[in-house]
Amino acid sequence: MTIAEKPFIRPDGKEKVTGVGRYTADMNLTGQLYAKFRYSDHPHARIVRIDTSRAKAVPGVLAVLTHEDVPDVLYGGMVQDRRLFAKEKVRWEGDVIAGIAARTAAIAEEAAALIEVEYEVLDPLPDFAANMDAGASLVHEDWETYGADDSLDRSGNTLGHSSIVKGDADSAMAGADVVVKSRFVADASQGAPIEPRAILAQWHGDRVTVWSSTQVPFAARSGVAHTLDMPESHVRVVVPLLGGGFGSKCDFHFEAHVAALAKAAKRPVKLVFSRHEEFVAPDHRREGMVIELETGANRDGTLVSRRGTLRLDKGAYCGEGGFFAQMAAMHACGPYKIQNISVDSYLNYSTNQPSSSIRAPTAPQTCWAVEQHMDQVAEAIGMDPAELRRRTLIAEGDEGPAGQIFDPIGIKETLEAALDMIGYGKELPDDEAIGVACGWWPSFGVPSGAYVKLNGDGTGTIITGAMESGTGAVMGLPLLAAEVLGMSPEDFSITYQDTDAGPWDMGSSGSQTTFNNGRAVIEAAKEVREKLLDMAADELEAHRDDLELVGGAVQVKGSPGTSVTIADLAGSGEPILGKGSGDVPEAPEVEASACVGRLGMESFLAPQLITHAARVKLDRSTGVVRVLEFAAAHDSGVIINRIGADGQVYGGVMMGIGQALSEMTMFDQDGRQRNPGLLDYKLQTVSDAPKIDIRWIEVDTPNAGPKGSKGVGEPPSVPTSGAIGNAIAKLVGRHVDRLPMTPERVWETMHTEGE
Amino acid sequence: MMGATYTTASSVEDAVAAMAAGARPVAGGTDLVVGARQGKKPLPQALVGIHKIPGLDGIGESDGGLVLGALVTHSALVSHPIVRGRFTGLADASAIVGSHATRANGTIGGNLMNASPAMDTGAPLLCMGATVELAGPGGRRTIGLDELWAGPGQLSASADELLVSVNIPAPSPGTGSAYVRLQYRRQMEIAVVGAAAVVTLGGGAVMDARIAITALAPTIHRVPDAEAALVGGPPDEARVDAAAAAAAAAARPIGDVRASVEYRRAMAVVMARRAIMTAVARASGQDMAIPASDSTYGS
Repeated sequence: MTIAEKPFIRPDGKEKVTGVGRYTADMNLTGQLYAKFRYSDHPHARIVRIDTSRAKAVPGVLAVLTHEDVPDVLYGGMVQDRRLFAKEKVRWEGDVIAGIAARTAAIAEEAAALIEVEYEVLDPLPDFAANMDAGASLVHEDWETYGADDSLDRSGNTLGHSSIVKGDADSAMAGADVVVKSRFVADASQGAPIEPRAILAQWHGDRVTVWSSTQVPFAARSGVAHTLDMPESHVRVVVPLLGGGFGSKCDFHFEAHVAALAKAAKRPVKLVFSRHEEFVAPDHRREGMVIELETGANRDGTLVSRRGTLRLDKGAYCGEGGFFAQMAAMHACGPYKIQNISVDSYLNYSTNQPSSSIRAPTAPQTCWAVEQHMDQVAEAIGMDPAELRRRTLIAEGDEGPAGQIFDPIGIKETLEAALDMIGYGKELPDDEAIGVACGWWPSFGVPSGAYVKLNGDGTGTIITGAMESGTGAVMGLPLLAAEVLGMSPEDFSITYQDTDAGPWDMGSSGSQTTFNNGRAVIEAAKEVREKLLDMAADELEAHRDDLELVGGAVQVKGSPGTSVTIADLAGSGEPILGKGSGDVPEAPEVEASACVGRLGMESFLAPQLITHAARVKLDRSTGVVRVLEFAAAHDSGVIINRIGADGQVYGGVMMGIGQALSEMTMFDQDGRQRNPGLLDYKLQTVSDAPKIDIRWIEVDTPNAGPKGSKGVGEPPSVPTSGAIGNAIAKLVGRHVDRLPMTPERVWETMHTEGE
Repeated sequence: MMGATYTTASSVEDAVAAMAAGARPVAGGTDLVVGARQGKKPLPQALVGIHKIPGLDGIGESDGGLVLGALVTHSALVSHPIVRGRFTGLADASAIVGSHATRANGTIGGNLMNASPAMDTGAPLLCMGATVELAGPGGRRTIGLDELWAGPGQLSASADELLVSVNIPAPSPGTGSAYVRLQYRRQMEIAVVGAAAVVTLGGGAVMDARIAITALAPTIHRVPDAEAALVGGPPDEARVDAAAAAAAAAARPIGDVRASVEYRRAMAVVMARRAIMTAVARASGQDMAIPASDSTYGS
């Protein structure tokens, strides 16, 4: 059912793994300067005075900028709560006070240190849960004056409150056979791409070109235009090869700082982050969470009621992530039939690093809590946890948390596939156990566009706004175009990652590239196909209904001898072009009037469903857990290119294992990161990887992406930590209630008395 | 950064002269460069490359012992049959230093002179009674490792002394060694807690024992109480437990991002016991996997 007949290996892979590929930091322009930032000296302080005179006097310094030197503009996708350079206050350790452009990076760094900043130091507010208490000091005193998305339910330090309400959870809870309560705390983790971000800006007249390692070039373009008060058409953002993102390079961040420095210095300016800066950068972080859950169940497994309270750490600024509260609330329900629901979710400001859309934002942590909670419910009613899921997972026609009625979906099939792959129920040594978890994630339907043109040699070029951050644009798009045109995917090149080339695109976020841009490419290729058929009908003196496109030629059906090659048609000099966008699929309308803070997540378009199962081994003396074997069963609809989809699962599961066991940002009492580097922020390595088995449940999905596909990129880390947590609990006898479940925490759980 | 210099020494004398003039030696650069990029310590103003000095990259046998040139890499140590066979604890350690790239570039001389209390090769070499030869402007001298380390990142050697070789005496017949550390992942890791043991068996009894602890005190050091608890009888559970408990009792752990004081203290017992048991097994002729750390848990 996969449309690639043979694996189509990513064309950009070889240059990336052999070191030939050029990334933003590899680029240099004649006369370029180097940028450094002066960061805040305190996580929370009022700025009394900034004096840049000593920095400006350093020989070799060509520009020093503060808030006084750029337009006084507030920006932010869902709440406009920040400036390029801090003005009245600093709100986290990474707030930028000034930017310096100098002849060398060392001079710029020296000058940054010479900027004098006088502060009135304020108490830091790192406790994002306590920040919503009455009387708590405010991170943003002027929050009411900010522009914001109308659907956000804001109040003080809470920038978004969302609820999912269905039926009467309180009275249903009172009538349940058993009631299980749990509380889980997830620490922050990081996106941690290998490439620290880099930006290079060059002006020509009143126009600027910015090369940037961003996942979202069009959002970056808008941000530069908005904050520097210039027309969008005067800003071009180009992304050379991108060295990973995982969501940490989403949203607009530093392109305008560097563009402003280049304008002031009248020279190209380059900024390259150190690893430390990368770790402290805004939106590099997955949000910390406190998750309280309560479920009423009957002994036959019926889930009669779910109550929940979730508190999420947004850090100092909102950015695009204002939807997190509602997304987390949906994950607090999960892909289950629950009769009555009352979940409240609060997205709170703190003086911590801003958190953002790290691969499936809010889902892995919430799912980790919910899936361990489900195992606790199973234990309370004396039922095998897999059986409880079998009885309660959603299927076609079931009703979702906010009233959505589901199309055909394969979550139950993913459960059976994962149990089968892992050998659920098999005899294991007494230091090993298998844990299972299920999860979901929506597809996002957004506008997207592409052009397809044919070249004189019979090859094609796809011109698109889509981004490639390992997300598969370079594989999925040529495959889809090739299928429409009877060509082979190797025949296509892609012109992309350049806002002056392709149409607007949301960027590599939300598992949306193939889902939306694939649709656009198919539409564009169809227009090319029509043109080819017209031209070939003339050439072959045949009726166009009798023609077909096969093997790089147009031929009379069943008569390969009567044909004309695409190269001959395209080489005639007649331009052969197509454009497309296609109709955006929309999530089903739901009534959901009882829900607060509706941002469109109350109904999931083409949900992607997942079951993960992990076999783990516990070293009882140390608390060290190793994942020995992993089974991942996914319903992502029809798979376009199996090798690309498998790659997403391998990478996602490894990211999920890291989040489960070792990846944790530690803060000091003021909210400064204690381990902002790759030595003590413990990513998993290849040597830690278990055997990972994958099975795709290809449910033909109406109202989905091209060919009945859904997204693929984010789900592979969603239930991973839940599956591992459930396995650990079987060995320890209790659930570890802190994420990540580090050796020390597992060991502590083994050595402290349970409730 | 103004005026930074880099020269390449072609002899020990060249290197020492450069060091006497203020240069810091660099070979693999796995501590110096990584530390500078992390912002731990800037690169020194003057560097002298010692990687081209002839004769410092050999592993030689001497009266049943070993002489390691300062430039011997961790990957060379791990793949050397005599190191694996009779100095197994050193192979355990070199096998898990950093990553593949660290082991291919990082040298034994650099590892020892970095004086980290968490270095992997230190504890097994200390237990093996290794000495180091230092070359300075006034000539050469040989000191024990216990004399070399003065604190975290601090040496008793002066800044113009270059480590040229490590000498490991021949082990007595019936000796086995092991190094084990607590690690949270299998590559790019640094010891959270570690322990090494060198055990000599004779007639079923422990004739001699050397036990050292890693990342549990300002310097790696041996624990005489633990050694005494193990010697004088069969390596049974009671004796091993007593030795491990004594090793842990000598620990003065710190709490940091890698572990709390309490956890480090508890893990000291576990790592010491595992190092001792593995060394005893090897002394009895059993073939135990290298590195011992990986076989102590997981697959």
